[in-house]
Amino acid sequence: MRKRSAYIKNIAITLGILCLSFAIGLLLQTIFNVQATIPTVFVFAVFLVSLLTDGYVYGIIAAFIITIIVNYAFTVPYFKINFTIPENIFSALIMVSIALVTSTLTAKIKYQDTIRVESEKERMRANLLRAISHDLRTPLTTIYGSSSAILENYDSFSEEQKIQMIQGIKEDSEWLVHMVENLLSITKIDSGNVKIIKTPIALDELIDSVLQKFKKRYPYQKIDLDIPDNVVVIPMDPLLIEQVIINILENSVQHAKGMTRLSLRVFTMANLAIFEISDNGCGIDKERIDKLFSEYSVSDEHQADSKRSNAGIGLSVCATIIKAHGGEIYAGNVKNGGTVIRFSLHMEETDDE
Amino acid sequence: MNNNKYKILVVEDEDNICKFISALLEANGYQAIIAKTCLMAQSMFSSYIPDLIILDLGLPDMDGMNFLNYVRETSLTPIIVLSARSDESDKVNALDSGANDYVTKPFSTAELLARVRSSLRNSRHSADDGHFPGRKFLLGGLVIDYDARRVFLQNVEVKLTQTEYNIVALLSEHCGKVMTYSSIIKTIWGHPDGGSIKKLQVNMANIRKKLRDKPGGSNYIINELGVGYRMNNEESD
Repeated sequence: MRKRSAYIKNIAITLGILCLSFAIGLLLQTIFNVQATIPTVFVFAVFLVSLLTDGYVYGIIAAFIITIIVNYAFTVPYFKINFTIPENIFSALIMVSIALVTSTLTAKIKYQDTIRVESEKERMRANLLRAISHDLRTPLTTIYGSSSAILENYDSFSEEQKIQMIQGIKEDSEWLVHMVENLLSITKIDSGNVKIIKTPIALDELIDSVLQKFKKRYPYQKIDLDIPDNVVVIPMDPLLIEQVIINILENSVQHAKGMTRLSLRVFTMANLAIFEISDNGCGIDKERIDKLFSEYSVSDEHQADSKRSNAGIGLSVCATIIKAHGGEIYAGNVKNGGTVIRFSLHMEETDDE
Repeated sequence: MNNNKYKILVVEDEDNICKFISALLEANGYQAIIAKTCLMAQSMFSSYIPDLIILDLGLPDMDGMNFLNYVRETSLTPIIVLSARSDESDKVNALDSGANDYVTKPFSTAELLARVRSSLRNSRHSADDGHFPGRKFLLGGLVIDYDARRVFLQNVEVKLTQTEYNIVALLSEHCGKVMTYSSIIKTIWGHPDGGSIKKLQVNMANIRKKLRDKPGGSNYIINELGVGYRMNNEESD
């Protein structure tokens, strides 16, 4: 399908430019009666076709057609095909070479563009991989260490010690589960041009599901909730959006020091549903705000010892997911302390009941 | 072996997962039977006649769906499917083919046990199904009187429209089981059309409001996002 539409587009461009150049040529010849500039118009036309279409073919075809047209209509003898005149053969050759050279150049530029994008992606991926492998080591150490310690010294540990270690195993594997979910989402979106499959989801069901999951992880964290009363339906991949909201909420819980209030607000504006998660904690450093979503950045300063967190990849996962949905995401500090993260999604355009 | 224990057939090829599931089940008073391949599961199924099946869809010899269909040809034994997270369509597919429930890997033990209890309870429910006169549905403060087609919440009648009542009744009859969007739509409206999901969502929103279900609370109706709805049959925990 896509191939076909590309063909049609290329052919349309070629024909359009040819017709236009032919019209201009005729205009110049009949009205202004200038001969000398006509060939330059056609040279320019061949150049344009080669530049704007994909591959070599269209440029070369255009060059041939133009040579014939020029030969037929614009050179002596008028309205006759005559290739015996060496001048005509010469101009035909020049046309074809222009087409070839231009096409080669544009193809090269396009190729370099894709290489640049690819290498950018590659760099991101390498960063991500580095950040993750680093992050994975700590929980794995706990799990591996604690479990083998228990197995090997079962009798010499007290009951309490064993429970403590098993608790550690559980917590760290929960962290791993969460991390793997995030990774899956990224690869789901990053791998090629997989389009997100959107299904219409009722907002209150989404929020309910988010809160249920959040409650399981953080039973004591209260969330102030403010969502519209009417039924709001938003097309989305529900698992991914759910993850975005949970990641942001979790980010507040883990990083907003001194937070006493965490709130989740959703409101609609024109055709957008806007989600706003805010806390009254310590806010985010100015320098970090800009980079917050852009990289798989794990803040290096407190890497070594601090509590691990998903913040590094968590928020960039959010950005990736929201962008893939065609929405926007924003992070900022609130005046009287605290962070606000806002993202928007397009709603259904259709009827309201 | 003790005969009045529930027999649960666990179909799963990963050794370690088998071990902890069967240990967990036995510790909670069930009898676990392990099958590691589809073929093994089929013969175990006919020789042991389990009360419940826990089925991993990715098996070495055949797709777990084969076994699901095999069981459903002859029996209504509740089946809980273990699925990988990524695909809702897999879950919907399994549910529409007759699975009673699904648990997403990785799962917590509490989650699995809750589903096991709920599925077993559900199958006992449906054993004495068939709308006896005067049959009522009771859950927490919720009462459904099937004969009068009326619903009460803490002894106060809840005014539901026809459609809303039909949906609530349908979910309650399959209490504990996930009902996919399409199966609800088919039962309530007959053949689905373009707007039916939206219709269902609007009706569900009204029902939730009338049952005073709140986002994040312990509600009567649980959202299985992107899959369907389930009437909660666990006493709130």
